[in-house]
Amino acid sequence: MITVRGLHKYYEGHHLFKGIDLDIKKGEVVVFIGPSGSGKSTFLRCINGLEYFQQGEIVVNGIELHSINRLRPDRKDLENIRKVRLKVGMVFQQFNLFPHMTVLENIIEAPLQVLGADRTVTIEQARSLLRRINIERKAESYPEELSGGEQQRVAIARALAMKPEAMLFDEPTSSLDPEMVGEVLSVIKDLVNEGMTTLIATHEMGFAREVADRVVVFDSGDIIETGPPGEIFTHPKTERTRVFLSRVLKR
Amino acid sequence: MNKSGWMKNFLRVLSLCIGLSALLFWVAPSRPANTLEKIQKSGYLLWGSDAEGGAPYIFPDPKDPSKLIGFEVDLADEIARELGVRPKQAQNAWDSLVPALMRGDSDIAMNGIEITPQRQKEVLFSEPYYIYTEQLVVRKDEEAIQGVDDLKGKKVGTLSGTVAQDILMNMGGVDVKIYAGQVEPYEDLAIGRLDAVLLDLPIAAYYAKPNPKLKYAGPPVGEGFYGIAIRKGDEDLKKRIDEILDKLMRTGRLKAIYEKWDLWNEQQEKLFLKAGGTEGYVSLEESKKAPVYTFFPTLLKGAGITIFISFVSMALAVSLGLVLTLMRLYGGQPLSGIATGYIEIYRGTPLLIQLYILYYGLPNIGISMNPLTAAFLGLGMNYAAYEAELYRAGISAVPKGQMEAALSLGMTRGTAVKRVILPQAFRIALPGVTNDFIALFKDSSLVSVIAMVELTKTYSILAASTLRFFELGLIVALLYFAMSYPLSLLARRLEDRLKRSKR
Repeated sequence: MITVRGLHKYYEGHHLFKGIDLDIKKGEVVVFIGPSGSGKSTFLRCINGLEYFQQGEIVVNGIELHSINRLRPDRKDLENIRKVRLKVGMVFQQFNLFPHMTVLENIIEAPLQVLGADRTVTIEQARSLLRRINIERKAESYPEELSGGEQQRVAIARALAMKPEAMLFDEPTSSLDPEMVGEVLSVIKDLVNEGMTTLIATHEMGFAREVADRVVVFDSGDIIETGPPGEIFTHPKTERTRVFLSRVLKR
Repeated sequence: MNKSGWMKNFLRVLSLCIGLSALLFWVAPSRPANTLEKIQKSGYLLWGSDAEGGAPYIFPDPKDPSKLIGFEVDLADEIARELGVRPKQAQNAWDSLVPALMRGDSDIAMNGIEITPQRQKEVLFSEPYYIYTEQLVVRKDEEAIQGVDDLKGKKVGTLSGTVAQDILMNMGGVDVKIYAGQVEPYEDLAIGRLDAVLLDLPIAAYYAKPNPKLKYAGPPVGEGFYGIAIRKGDEDLKKRIDEILDKLMRTGRLKAIYEKWDLWNEQQEKLFLKAGGTEGYVSLEESKKAPVYTFFPTLLKGAGITIFISFVSMALAVSLGLVLTLMRLYGGQPLSGIATGYIEIYRGTPLLIQLYILYYGLPNIGISMNPLTAAFLGLGMNYAAYEAELYRAGISAVPKGQMEAALSLGMTRGTAVKRVILPQAFRIALPGVTNDFIALFKDSSLVSVIAMVELTKTYSILAASTLRFFELGLIVALLYFAMSYPLSLLARRLEDRLKRSKR
């Protein structure tokens, strides 16, 4: 469903990605791990066009994104990026809920504005999404009145309201208090169990091990190892993976 | 509370205001080909004059300041009556009367305008209606100055653009101080800032003669004619006015006016033959004593105009500012460069200069607008630059993740700006915008330079004719405060609300 070929990207002046290739099948759950700044977040952001890249191509659901290296991409590039975004939902580390809208308004905004969906139907679907993540009673609250865990769950619901075929999670629990990590991970787990194609960048190794079909290890912009979690976590093939894992697992 | 609701209402009001100001553009009057026909068709004779410090020519009646009186008001009444129309005064600064006439702000200009060869190059003049002389005035205790020959090395005040100014300049060795109003030179003379004042006799007769601290020095000098200025090309109007003046002189009605205002002297005999009665003259002493409440209706009318100008200008500033910000941040070149240039130029030059260029400068290149339109545009375009900067600050205070989240949901950049970025940016910018409104409100006093009689101009007209600068000044200041204080309360409340919510 997602194919990456020969991806090159310069990030703040240095050559971050030097030709990355990756294929992700429909329904697959891929977890990206690696030290901070290794490129796993940037890689996810390239897939839905929040970051431009200088060489290579990314194909999502048959829509091709070529190297978009101009300061101002032309109309066709922008249209393609938008088509990709309609199929791929994204959840951010900082939640990024719209503070001037209620929880419900956050969820229905894009379906109404982008898809032109029917209001009554959309609100009904939004309420059932809120029921799924168990915060229906906060539908009329503003984001600032919610805890971090609740905000992130709403952010997930907001992305799901667009009925995406794949979801990108960019360190979804990194800015949460420890006691709230579990509630967010359990929502993601439900999603995975329903068969959603899911890409997650995370530092939660236990979670990675539990849900991943495949683990991809990033280091300094390179994919240094990829394989099923059992293999990566018990018999890492490279020394860099072993060093990284021993450092995070010790904590 | 529905937070997107107020945005919608705000935009609705905004577009209404833009529409209104656009309308004002279209209805700006165009200059008719034949002024005499226009006067007869409209039923009004629009005569240009300056009521500020204008006694005894034209000034507000102390008993009813909404009414203008003066010997030229009486003359305008007589001329209009002969034309079968009603007179209507068109206020303008005295030294701008001729340019204003040329651009079509009035049908004629009549306000002690001396017939000079220089002016005759620009406009037509009627036959003279008054022979003026220049009277030198000094302090009562002055011994050294007996006449104009004693002025070498002395500080002498006069009015800008008058024949008296030319006389003083041509004498050489005189330290000439130029004033814009005719009250201030006598005030400065009385308190010793000047040694003498040379001005037209009617002015001296009204302002200096009753003042116990001042006296005439020597006989009047020079001699010249006041004429009614008429646009070139309006020869038939000039002919008609000359006939009327001749009739007024022959029937003694003009002499009656001059005697009423104590302006009759032997010089006028050259113009006249017959005479009439005298009554209804209002002296400076009476103006000084009129109870202060008589000025309120006039002042409140000025305040109303100030409010009107401020609201329309602010609406223009708020909307044009938004356009500028969007051009600057999202427009790409060359739009963003144009917007940046506009903002820097408007912020970097004085509003006063912008107003002068807009109102007096643009007619030179064929763009002429009425004072009200010029006031809206001048204030609105200036403040738009400041609003644009406030919005830009507001937009950059919105976290970057907001745009990314909106884009990741499939919104276009435009939708994201409209639905996600701007509502948040507005809320951040709102207290600043309210503060700017207060500032604009006070800056609206500057449009008095482009012939708008708003509160400040009303004040200076009234104060100059009554010399009650102090008490009228306090009242006007109080009026401004009463109007701007509710706005600052509003600004403070908005700021508090912003502080309470985290964003």
